Amino acid sequence: MANLLWLQGGACSGNTMSFLNAEEPSACDLVTDFGINVLWHPSLGVELGENLKRLLDAIVSGEVALDIFVFEGTVVNAPAGTGEWNRFCGRPMKDWVADLAKVATFTVAVGDCATWGGIPATAPNPSESEGLQFLKREHGGFLGKEYTSKAGLPVINIPGCPAHPDWITQIVVAVATGRGGDLTLDEFQRPKTFFTSFTQTGCTRNMHFAYKVSATEFGQRKGCLFYDLGCRGPMTHSPCNRILWNRVSSKTRAGMPCLGCTEPEFPFFDLEPGTLFKTQTVMGAPKDMPTGVDKAGYIKLTAAAKAASPAWAEEDLFVV
Amino acid sequence: MSAAAVQTLDISPVGRVEGDLDVRVDVEDGVVINAWTQAELFRGFEVILRDKDPQAGLVVTPRACGICGASHLTCAAWALDTAWGTEVPRNAILARNLGQIVETIQSLPRHHYGLFMIDYTHKNYAKSQYYQEAVKRWAPFTGTNYELGVTISGRPVEIYALLGGQWPHSSYMVPGGVMCAPTLTDVTRAWSILEHFRRNWMEPVWYGCSLERYEEIQSYDDFLAWLDERPEHANSDLGLFWRMSQDIGLDKYGEGLGKYVSWGYMPHEDKYNKPTIEGRNAAVIMKSGVYDGKADTHKTMDQVFTREDIKHAWYDEPGGLHPFDRTTNPVQKNTVDPAGKYSWATAVRHDENGRLEAGPLSRQLIAGGTHGESWQYHSPLVLDMYRKMGGPSVLLRHFARMHEGAKLYREAERCLREFKLNDPWYIKPTEQDGRGWGAPRRPAARCATGSKSRAARSRTTRSLLPRPGMSALAPRTRRGARLRRR
Repeated sequence: MANLLWLQGGACSGNTMSFLNAEEPSACDLVTDFGINVLWHPSLGVELGENLKRLLDAIVSGEVALDIFVFEGTVVNAPAGTGEWNRFCGRPMKDWVADLAKVATFTVAVGDCATWGGIPATAPNPSESEGLQFLKREHGGFLGKEYTSKAGLPVINIPGCPAHPDWITQIVVAVATGRGGDLTLDEFQRPKTFFTSFTQTGCTRNMHFAYKVSATEFGQRKGCLFYDLGCRGPMTHSPCNRILWNRVSSKTRAGMPCLGCTEPEFPFFDLEPGTLFKTQTVMGAPKDMPTGVDKAGYIKLTAAAKAASPAWAEEDLFVV
Repeated sequence: MSAAAVQTLDISPVGRVEGDLDVRVDVEDGVVINAWTQAELFRGFEVILRDKDPQAGLVVTPRACGICGASHLTCAAWALDTAWGTEVPRNAILARNLGQIVETIQSLPRHHYGLFMIDYTHKNYAKSQYYQEAVKRWAPFTGTNYELGVTISGRPVEIYALLGGQWPHSSYMVPGGVMCAPTLTDVTRAWSILEHFRRNWMEPVWYGCSLERYEEIQSYDDFLAWLDERPEHANSDLGLFWRMSQDIGLDKYGEGLGKYVSWGYMPHEDKYNKPTIEGRNAAVIMKSGVYDGKADTHKTMDQVFTREDIKHAWYDEPGGLHPFDRTTNPVQKNTVDPAGKYSWATAVRHDENGRLEAGPLSRQLIAGGTHGESWQYHSPLVLDMYRKMGGPSVLLRHFARMHEGAKLYREAERCLREFKLNDPWYIKPTEQDGRGWGAPRRPAARCATGSKSRAARSRTTRSLLPRPGMSALAPRTRRGARLRRR
């Protein structure tokens, strides 16, 4: 039995909706098979008003144990650090977060908003939003660099906009089955098991990447989305093409360039004019290279790729 | 009744609403006589979009709401299409519609079991003869049909993922079409997903009969006859929902304003290829309209009458502007003042008809009208129920939502039949200056929403984004009109 509380700050509920797509385990399986006791959830909870306040007070006082505290959405600090632009259960949400994080055995940030600020923290960040332990790349966030939950771990960051349901459920199951100690986190506190490989790992367009065959516009039946359409698959850490979305596909498989949403900078370039769905270039070479590749290496790689490219690579591959 | 008998309650939060919502109610003799809804979250999406890439709306606006992102994406794409004067190929219109449809079909069981029916298991209703059965089926997480319904709700959006890579939060709809180019296997898989959803939930659990039998119901009398026809009907989740709702009095509550709006939705694949703001009403399958319940009259809805009232909303702006003319200027100090400003939501109204209710009941009441184009969708059932049951109620509002599912299911099938796989999915447009009103306020999965943008070449000078639920959760207007609900 593990008590789980899920709250939302500056959120869209997208991670909740994603979570509800889960299978093996499904959201219900977590409750019935893994003994997760959902104390409350903003979309699913039965209690409201005073009854919820009593529950939250009991958690803060330690009367009810909080094994897993899941937070979705940003911590809103506006206006002027007061947090009044996001009130919940009679007070600024940020005050609840501060109190609950102190008593949680594990604290889990789900989605970009809770991990690094996400869309709401995009310039000019009108809601003065930040993530639980990061603001974009900057370590600290709302809870501060030194924060650890009672289990001795910093905030477990499960980024993505939204996070994939399996990334959430597998972490919850790991904790519920006593394997929380096996979690290893990267420099951004993401579970390494999910966020070491790249979005490109397993992409169906890898051959087109290798032969530098570009999808030059949308709706084509071939081509890599990296060269012209701004895909960030080669420099984004996620298992989107290993653990498919909604069991069937991924954005890059369907023809949508990866936006890099598991990385702290998302949305990249603050959505400035000219940066959407267009590969940013400097002197004809991509401004952001595949991770670890330098410009000289890239030029050699693509020259060799072009030279080696077989004729079929220019023909439609994903045919009717 | 003396004023002293009125008790004021502040409920914070009201759960199961996207975004934090508080409500203040005045209660007299156990009946709510007055209510103020307070949206308690401001993120400033319109402020973020100012001076950004015009296509930033395709990434940002779906993320306004994770429940109805496809509606926002559709709006954002059509807004840019109208601003840039694009040509949208037939396949792309179908692919956009299909995305919107499957998101909405997803929401039916998820909302029904996850958010709505769990209240029927509340001990307040323990006296109902249906209570034990309700608890068995609908208790949160453990109810037999709760588990089935919530889990199967993930299936329809697998079709969204086939088109856009994932649900929620894809941006696959772009000005000029869609990013994807589906193959035959995508279409056949989508068919099998639809079939699975129908054969494992819609028919055996929800209707207790075939979809075809359900579609024969065209009037209130037909419905009552269907309910009594076989025990499978009466004991289906629809049958039990209907009977228990009447048993606990939900046909008596939820009067509302009595005036309704739908913007119309789902552009026809052959009628909106060169989209314009003016041409939209005559191009959508699900027609737009304003229905006045008291006068029993229908007319089409024109966006020029839209006004956003901010008298009670936390913005420093002139009130009563068309959404094009708003600037989204939040106040700094958002103190709750029931007589003054008390919510981040604005109140949308019709310049001639005042406050209107949006949502599935409205869409069905408008679908019952004989106005609009002769080829547009017409469905008389809910309007007939409305007339014969003495107007709106919680029961009818929820029934209308679920009833829409049958039409949407058929329309999803039609999209799959109509795709011409070798034809184009995208025609690259030229960016230009313009003002867009993209399929304004399409019915989002659970409410009504909309998007409009004004694009100067290579940047969005302004993008306004009425928040989902705005029509449902809005505060009062200057004239004090408000939704009455329990």
